[in-house]
Amino acid sequence: MLKLEKLTRRFGETAAVDNVTLDIPDGQMVGIIGRSGAGKSTLLRLLNRLTDPSDGQILFGDTDIAQLKGRALRQWRSDCAMIFQQFNLVGRLDVLTNVLTGRLFDLPGWRALAQVYTPQERAFAVQALDRLTMAHTALQRAETLSGGQQQRVAIARALAQEPKILLADEPIASLDPLNAKVVMDALRTINQQDGITVICNLHTLDTARDYCDRIIGMQAGRVVFDGTPAQLTHGMARDIYGAEADEALNEGATSTNLAARRPAEPAHALV
Amino acid sequence: MSDQTALGAVGLFEKHRAELKASKRTMNLIMLAAFLVCLALSVYISQFYPERLANGIPRIFEYFGTIIPNLQWEVLFEGRTEDGRAVAGSITYWYTDFWTYVTLIWETILMAITATLIGTAVAFVLSFPAAANLAPNSWIYWISRRFLEICRGIPEILLALVFVFMIGIGPLAGVIAIAIHSAGALGKLFAEVNENASARPVEGITAVGGTWVQKMAYGVVPQVTPNFVSYALLRFEVNVRASSIIGFVGAGGIGQELNRVISFYSDDRVLAVLILVVLMVTLIDLLSERLRLGYIGRENFA
Repeated sequence: MLKLEKLTRRFGETAAVDNVTLDIPDGQMVGIIGRSGAGKSTLLRLLNRLTDPSDGQILFGDTDIAQLKGRALRQWRSDCAMIFQQFNLVGRLDVLTNVLTGRLFDLPGWRALAQVYTPQERAFAVQALDRLTMAHTALQRAETLSGGQQQRVAIARALAQEPKILLADEPIASLDPLNAKVVMDALRTINQQDGITVICNLHTLDTARDYCDRIIGMQAGRVVFDGTPAQLTHGMARDIYGAEADEALNEGATSTNLAARRPAEPAHALV
Repeated sequence: MSDQTALGAVGLFEKHRAELKASKRTMNLIMLAAFLVCLALSVYISQFYPERLANGIPRIFEYFGTIIPNLQWEVLFEGRTEDGRAVAGSITYWYTDFWTYVTLIWETILMAITATLIGTAVAFVLSFPAAANLAPNSWIYWISRRFLEICRGIPEILLALVFVFMIGIGPLAGVIAIAIHSAGALGKLFAEVNENASARPVEGITAVGGTWVQKMAYGVVPQVTPNFVSYALLRFEVNVRASSIIGFVGAGGIGQELNRVISFYSDDRVLAVLILVVLMVTLIDLLSERLRLGYIGRENFA
């Protein structure tokens, strides 16, 4: 169980995340929606402390994540994997080494520096890649892969961390619809088969509806909706997105729903 | 109506443009005046007058006259006579000390290699804390920046003088002096390369729970290695030149011999050494450029 208590992050005068209180049970797949600048990314980055909170608590069991430092903080990051919009792989390293970096926390310092890995560690990484059907690229440089392939490698790196929680910050925003679907399917499978909590920022609503158990809507740093996809009415969604509603609710834009891209189905079919 | 507004916008723009130009013009005139004053001062202080230069030119040839060997075509390729003497006017006579020179040139190249390796290693380690985007905190950043500045701020020849005094005449003093200067110069360049590295891989390594050293080793080093290699090879070329003159203060290498023949003889031996030095520098430059281009090509198209 992950509990956020009055979590706040201010940048100067503005509060990017404002007094957020949430309970996220283990094994849930949560989608966070909202317009650009609503604080989705900041919220996710607070959870693995890539950004430090200004106020409030992040409780995982009895530990306050907001207070962690040094090795304990690195251990938490290793337990709480993150997938980025731009993949954040090391382009000039091969795919396998990229996945193996997921094991860095458990590695003795000298082995990490010399890049010495045991056969067991390599096998583990190859298996993680194989789950995402990327094992054949293991010896290629990461930068030679397409965006969709890089994101799958990034997911394999996250799997190599054997995380308790998987954070995904706009994982499909840079991908075409087919790759977006592959990536979202992979996240859903990991959530269901491994029982890992997945918290995912999504820009488009239909993806959140299709894949998540629970949707959290954010506006100006506050949580304005928290419920099941069925509870999220169209009017509420329009409120959450404000001026961006047309773009975000248009299933053709960056959607994972391939069928909706057929011109036969006009965008207003949603209404 | 719309024509009028358009004209109004253009008029306003022209007015602003004229104002901007006027304010720039004053500044430019002040700068030009300051430049001219500085130029006049430096000409006066250095006595840089055309007639002095004109008077000096013939003397260049005079000097060359004294160091040009007196080669005779008939005996040019004569070897040594039975009693081991070289015939005056032959190349053998001119280059009597050939093997001494070659040994010293070899020593010069080795000095440059060693100094470059040590300098690169120090620069590599310090370039991460000295990069504004990577430094773990501002104290470490400040200290490593200043340290690199001091290293490159002191001229090699001064450092060499100090080390010759400390540890005695010989190549070790030269190697240390050149290594320190290289560390400073390369460290600054490396740090600037690091500052241009993408933050994304670094963030990726942070997110898996990596330490600062791991972030550098995995997130930054793979990105910057080609540039580091290229700069280190360029520095090697510079260091070959540096190590061939540093011997003037007794810090080893061919410079020591060059200094000796200039101050004791000032005859054709000066030219003999100079030719070898120029040959060595050119060859090393060509070789290093080949290496550099080859490596960069391979890295970019792998």
